Amino acid sequence: MQQVAYHRAASEDAALALAANHPGAMFIAGGTDMLQLSKQGVVPTQLIDISRLPLDRIEPRAGALRIGALARLADVADHPDVRRDWPALAQAIAASASPQIRNLATVGGNLLQRTRCGYFRSADLPCNKREPGSGCAARDGENRLHAIFGTSPHCVATHASDLAVALLALQASVHVRGHDSARVLPIAELFRLPGDTPQRDSALGAGEMIVSVEVSRSAAARRSCYLKVRDRASFEFAVVSVAAALEIEDGVIRSARLAAGGVGTVPWRLVASERALAGARAEPAAFAAAAARAADGAQPLSQNGFKLELLRRTVRRALEGLTDA
Amino acid sequence: MIEDRAPTRYEAAQKVTGAARYQGEVRAAGMLHAALVTAPMPSARVLGIDTARARALAGCVEVLTHENALRIPPAAFLTLLQEPVVHFAGQPVALVLAETPETARAAAALVEVRYAPMPAVTALEQARDEAYAPRTAGLTATDSRRGEPEAALAAAAVRLDHCYTTPTHNHLAIEPQVVLADWNGSDLLVQTPSQAVFAHRAGLARCFGLDIERVRVISPYLGGGFGSKGGAWFPCLVLGCLAAKQLGRPVRLELLRAQMFTLVGRRQETVQQLKIGAARDGRLAALLHDTVAQTSTYGEYADPVATPTRMMYACPNVATTHRLVRVNAPQPNPARAPGEGPGSFALESAIDELAYKLDLDPIELRRRNFADHDQHAGLPWSSNGLLECYRAGAEAFGWARRPSKPGTLSDGRHALGWGMAGACYPAYRIASQAAVRINLDGRVEVRCGTQDMGSGTYTVLAQLAAEALGVPYAAVDVALGDTLLPEGPYSGGSMATASFTPAVEDAARRLRRDLIARAVADPRSPMHGRQPDQVSIADGVMRAGNRSEPLIELLARVAPQGIEAAANAAPNTKPAHSYYGFGAVFAEVRVDPDLGEIRVTRLTGAYATGRILNPLLARSQFVGGLIWGIGMALHEKTVMDKNLGRIVNDNLADYLIPVHADMPRFDIHMLTEDEPHLGSGGVKGIGMLGTCGTAAAIANAVFHATGRRIRDLPIRLEQLL
Ligand SMILES: Cc1cc2nc3c(=O)[nH]c(=O)nc-3n(C[C@H](O)[C@H](O)[C@H](O)COP(=O)(O)OP(=O)(O)OC[C@H]3O[C@@H](n4cnc5c(N)ncnc54)[C@H](O)[C@@H]3O)c2cc1C
Ligand code: SF4
Repeated sequence: MQQVAYHRAASEDAALALAANHPGAMFIAGGTDMLQLSKQGVVPTQLIDISRLPLDRIEPRAGALRIGALARLADVADHPDVRRDWPALAQAIAASASPQIRNLATVGGNLLQRTRCGYFRSADLPCNKREPGSGCAARDGENRLHAIFGTSPHCVATHASDLAVALLALQASVHVRGHDSARVLPIAELFRLPGDTPQRDSALGAGEMIVSVEVSRSAAARRSCYLKVRDRASFEFAVVSVAAALEIEDGVIRSARLAAGGVGTVPWRLVASERALAGARAEPAAFAAAAARAADGAQPLSQNGFKLELLRRTVRRALEGLTDA
Repeated sequence: MIEDRAPTRYEAAQKVTGAARYQGEVRAAGMLHAALVTAPMPSARVLGIDTARARALAGCVEVLTHENALRIPPAAFLTLLQEPVVHFAGQPVALVLAETPETARAAAALVEVRYAPMPAVTALEQARDEAYAPRTAGLTATDSRRGEPEAALAAAAVRLDHCYTTPTHNHLAIEPQVVLADWNGSDLLVQTPSQAVFAHRAGLARCFGLDIERVRVISPYLGGGFGSKGGAWFPCLVLGCLAAKQLGRPVRLELLRAQMFTLVGRRQETVQQLKIGAARDGRLAALLHDTVAQTSTYGEYADPVATPTRMMYACPNVATTHRLVRVNAPQPNPARAPGEGPGSFALESAIDELAYKLDLDPIELRRRNFADHDQHAGLPWSSNGLLECYRAGAEAFGWARRPSKPGTLSDGRHALGWGMAGACYPAYRIASQAAVRINLDGRVEVRCGTQDMGSGTYTVLAQLAAEALGVPYAAVDVALGDTLLPEGPYSGGSMATASFTPAVEDAARRLRRDLIARAVADPRSPMHGRQPDQVSIADGVMRAGNRSEPLIELLARVAPQGIEAAANAAPNTKPAHSYYGFGAVFAEVRVDPDLGEIRVTRLTGAYATGRILNPLLARSQFVGGLIWGIGMALHEKTVMDKNLGRIVNDNLADYLIPVHADMPRFDIHMLTEDEPHLGSGGVKGIGMLGTCGTAAAIANAVFHATGRRIRDLPIRLEQLL
């Protein structure tokens, strides 16, 4: 256990200034992942506590929903507008973790939580993500829960967030601030493929902070869902999950967005399946055709080959659920 | 309903208010905190340990290694820090002692150990051909044989031959193992959650060359144990005491959750080959059950896995074997329902398979094979309520409505399935002492050096004394978990209650007789001159005919210092009966046929286990046992990376156990059963039985729902895709 310097930020600007002045410092929000990581030996030396900053508003606006980075997961999932107009978000959160954790965990922290790969989470096992160059023990080890998309020889760990998958399907954008910068990026660009630098999960630069997440209103968002398959009924990460959003007009699919969790090193868009749906009639045949393409390009590991078929079936079930009455 | 009259937990108020002090909360002036340095690889020689950086840390007091730790004599358990050999990943190689727990852990991270890695066996299958026969399987013989099993199998009209596997489990009680060891000269005080205070006292006395009177072990409350706070905890317990002795200060050592996966035992992995030969009418002709299981490279333990196969059913030709494979992994030991838990998964699954093969109702098949005596021991049952359990369980569950064909029940999109299994667990008892005392104020004290694992021992001790003596339950105080008390049984093998019950009842009855004898002899007593058998005691009042006197008035005259009686109860050395508790468990599962997700929606258990002392506590034991069965069927598995020889899910986020959302409706039926022979006051154990058969009932229900027979636990969704 090493000494950690703890700073409590008084304002957003102060937090960003602290981050700029303390290279290597990390933000701590709900702390539900950060504290686990530090117990598991993945330790920052400087923590900047942002949990008290007023970045927790959930604001449904005319064209979009803006969620402060520090909004608690439970508050987002319980918000009546979210439940009505962005059901995939509410469902993804309701299927995440436990009530206690959802009461503490924040939206920003959820997106930036680190992988659940068991090798990463043990202080001294070979893992390129935790200790670059030490090797990836999961590739030829216990990889039942690992990724089939976006893997590299250096890392095959999944991104664990449920919410991120739903946000990807809803084409969210992420508002980011640095000490003297501000930018907006599509959520797909927030996450980095492991490549040969698996230690970097996100595209955030040093000292950058997520301030909010935005999703637009749309017919597709209103007809969206999140379906999670897991090894126990609750309090467990996805083996496979699917977020789906369909805009249907006169029985025809105008636009379709599909994203999957538990399968990719980053939240994974199912582009081939989306294409199969666009313009098709919203009927079982189209869903089956889309499902058939869901695992295109997947590269199974020794223990997770079943995820290909499970993903296809989950896609199909999610789509059927969106059009059932 | 009797449950309404059952006393609620004796220590409930202390526990909910936090007044109950668990051993993790006790402190001693001047104590040091210990942290373990553990080996990262499964097999190695330690070449050298550099402790300079650790020692340099302010607040670090000492680092013990095999080079400087006090010597303890060689023993049957793994003596830590005595030699430079690593047998499994996670084995302690150094112990850091510091003024604060934080410093101890920081210093532990600074200890530099150089290892020469050695070849390791990291999975059972790597050394299957080196399997060997252990000396015993639990408390039973390693192998058994009656009749001509191979010939009978070859001649049988119907045959079945399948392999069933169960994985490693860890006990993972909510409360971590912890010890505060405190020496005063050559007196050792040990405060630790212990399932066996007297065994721990004897073991520690042996280790440190002391008379047993010099050692005191205290364990008032346990946050669960399940087998992990007895012998399995002993190596680390010794280490804490050793450090305290060497440093001359009290030492507190507490395990981390991850260390609970390596240092306090495990349920061993099993591979079980089961062959059945039967006649067309279902009568069993041959049973052959060969089990292979993991043990460590330094110790030997075999669960009695095939024991249900020996006695559960009538069969003239039976052979069972237990073999072990040495793996560079932690030492297995008993975990709740040791042996019978995994063994009943294989046996009760195979019987189910036979039922489908013969197109017979699984209960009918079991009835036809009911054993009217224990054919393995060649003894009559002391009591056997199995047939009644089948009947009562089936009725409560609605089994009669079960369609015999798999894949026919459904609930919307989901497939439903019903399965059942038989359950058995031996009823043991060991010697126990107890003392009961009544004081001038009328309060009664029961003293018995057994332990309460959280299962209700306090309550039951108070209840037994209150009933046998004739005082209100609320008037009884209980002292347990201390080696200064009369020696009580260890808490394991479902035998503590059956062991102390006769001792407490006997002591309380002696006290009652003594009180009555004094009353009838006392000229000032209203009972004076009565025949003792005309005098009764109830609610703290003595009565004979229309005369009565509160006990406190009698005591004030005849024994102002109070009266005490003690008793000692020991089992028969040559039993004339075979003692078992029996049950039948029924499961309903809901399976998503596309996605493979399985949820248990109903569990019904019917049990015949002698006298039920407290239906509230007993029900909670059965429910707990069934939940372990759900975990065994669907969730629990300690995952070892074979390349590294390391456990990769050593935390409660990744080692799955059932959560609330996984709980079905539990329907528990405890049948009335007279147990006249065990000498336990009619009690048979109940802690293990709920876990027996349950995984099989669930797997059988999965087959009924889907037509898929899963023989490898835990059942994961990919097995059903
Ligand atoms: C037992 C368990 C089960 C779980 N199950 C699930 C599950 O099923 N599904 C799921 O999606 N999640 C699950 N989680 C993860 C949980 O949702 C995350 O831990 C939580 O969302 C993280 O949020 P936090 O506010 O606590 O983040 P913290 O722990 O405070 O921070 C997490 C990371 O985000 C960074 N960070 C936080 N806020 C910001 C910000 N505004 N800008 C930049 N960086 C920031 C921190 O520096 C840190 O790196 C589970 C967690 C546990 C412990
Ligand atoms: S998969 Fe990634 S996180 Fe897991 S061991 Fe390999 S490098 Fe580490």
